[in-house]
Parts: sequence; structure tokens; C-alpha cells
Amino acid sequence: MKMTEMKSNNKCRRIRAWLYTAISRSFGPEANWLHDHIMRCPRCQRRLISCGKVNLALSFMKSQPHGLDLLMRANTQAIAVLKHSLSREPKAQELKRKLPEPKLLERCGKYGHSVANLAACIVILLLMKIGVFSSMDKFHNQGQQVMKQYYARQVGEDLADEVFPKDTKPPSSANSRGFANV
Amino acid sequence: MFSKAISYGSVWDYAAPESVVESQRWILSTMQKYGQELVTMLWRILGNEQDVCDAYQDTFLQLAHFEGGQKPEYVKAYVFRVANNVAVSMLRRRIAERNRLPMSVTAGKAISSPVKELDSKYLQENLRDCIAQLPEHLRNVITLRDLAELSYAQIGRILGISAATARVYRCKAVQLLAVWMSKEE
Repeated sequence: MKMTEMKSNNKCRRIRAWLYTAISRSFGPEANWLHDHIMRCPRCQRRLISCGKVNLALSFMKSQPHGLDLLMRANTQAIAVLKHSLSREPKAQELKRKLPEPKLLERCGKYGHSVANLAACIVILLLMKIGVFSSMDKFHNQGQQVMKQYYARQVGEDLADEVFPKDTKPPSSANSRGFANV
Repeated sequence: MFSKAISYGSVWDYAAPESVVESQRWILSTMQKYGQELVTMLWRILGNEQDVCDAYQDTFLQLAHFEGGQKPEYVKAYVFRVANNVAVSMLRRRIAERNRLPMSVTAGKAISSPVKELDSKYLQENLRDCIAQLPEHLRNVITLRDLAELSYAQIGRILGISAATARVYRCKAVQLLAVWMSKEE
């Protein structure tokens, strides 16, 4: 029951994602017909310009910095009107000296690039390691087969099976010695 | 007898402030937790440091006197809504004062030019004036979303609406602001 539910959930999720991409492709702001229309319609152009102006003004508001001590001053002024017993609290004294601190995300933001690079390097290394090991294994097996065929041709099938049994794999050093002896 | 009364009195005097401090310590915790976000939002709404301090003080004064010193159920919602309302009231007062000034003083503001359209101060003041005129439900969403930078889910919780409704309100608010801002030019 749970499996079928999970399957249907996955299907729903896939359909939702597909619908979203399909709709945004045909009706989103990047749609070609919309671009063509805006290029020819002065009314829509005016609307778009005024919306852009609002967004620009909002960005200006957000980018305007305030004094570094504003939080400190605001806290001091607010604490001054609270009850005396409350304003004498150690926490209140701490608040009076508080400076704005960047959020954790903002603090970690500067390391984001390096972390991404490091993660990419680790992934590449892992992939390389997996690739190297799997191909080494492949080469080893192929080499053994070639040697077995050589033995079989030179000394016969029985002896080759003895030197290279089907179940056990002789170590590579033993193989090379054996090969040299022949 | 008298000395006993005095001693009881001093014990009471000592105990009363302690209990007050104990019961209102959450105000300081609220200040510590949301102070920075509130100051940022107030600064963006008002654009004047002294006004920010006054609005911040008013907010915490109202919080301290909420239902006789009771802690609101959802403190974040309360402080953000109060701060928002206080700031908008101040903004409206400021606009009204500016409008009372003689035309000769404010004449410079009426002139529209392409350079002025991109002037950041002019744009900000224009937007502040328009935000102050917005209906409350739209204004709350635009200030909390764009100026306090809260998520739609948080805004929904603060205002008691769904995140989708908050999105719709923001869209409507931007459309209205766009119309008003283009009219003022």
C-alpha cells in the first residue's frame, strides 16, 4: 500500500514539475510571444517600466546603509523607558552595547565559492578513484584471460586450468613469475 | 510591632521588583532576538535614524504594556505588526507636515526630469509616500516581504493568512504602487 502511494506521489511530483516547466515556457516572462507583444505595445511597456521603477526604488531602500551604532542607540532608548529594575539587568547592559551582526548565511557567503570548489574537487577525485579502480580490475581480468589463453595454447587446457583455477585468482606477482618461468 | 512592619515592608519592596523583572525578562529576550531585524525594517521604512529609534522605543513600550504586561501569544507577529504600524503612522505624519509647508519650499519636488526619475533619494521618498497610502493588508505584506525580507510563510504566520495569499497581496501592492508612482510624475 505504502509502495503504491510512494509511486503515485513520485508520479505527481514529476507531473507537477513538468507542468510548471511547460507553463513557464509558454506563459512565463521569458515566453517569446510575450516579448514580441511588449515590443509592440506601448501600454504594456509603460506598465513594465513602472513596475521596474517600484522594484528599483525597493532595491535603493534596501541598499541604503544605516549607522553602525543605530541598533545600539535604539536599544538604549527603548531600555530607558522600561522599568528601572529591568533596565539594570545584565542583558539590558549587553543590549545597549550590541552592534548589528551579519546573518550566518551572509557570514558563510564569502566561503561559499571555496566550499563549492572543494566539493567539486572531492567529487572529481572520487570519480577518478572509482574509475581508476574499476578499470584496474577490468585490465587485471582481461590480462588474466589473455595469459590463460596463451598457456592453453602453449601447454594445454589442463595445465592452464591448474595455473589459473576458475574460482581463485592468483596474485599478480605470482602470475608474472609463472609467466616468466614458461 | 513597628519595627516588624518596617522589616516586612522592606522585604516586600525587595521582592516586588524581582518578580517584575522575572515576569518581564522576555521583553529583553525579544529585543535581543528581533531587534536587528526590526531596526533594519524601520530604517527602510523611515529612512531617518532618530525616527527609527523613536518607532523602536514605541514598539517595545507597547509590548511592555500589552494587556497589563502579559506576554503576547506570538511575540514576533506582535512586534513586527506594531513596529510596522508605528512606522507608517510616523511616515504619514511626516507627509502631512511636508504638505502643510508652503508650495515655494516643496516646488523642487514637482519638477520631473529623466535624471530625477533615476535619483535614488527621489525614488525612495516617492515610494515611501505611496506605501503610506496603501491599504493596510497590502502595506503589511510589502513591508514585511520587501523591507523586512521575511519569507512568505513567515508573513503568513504573522498576518494570519496563507503564504499564497501573501504572494497575491504583494503582487497587487506592486501593481498599485507602480500606478501611483507613474501618476505622481
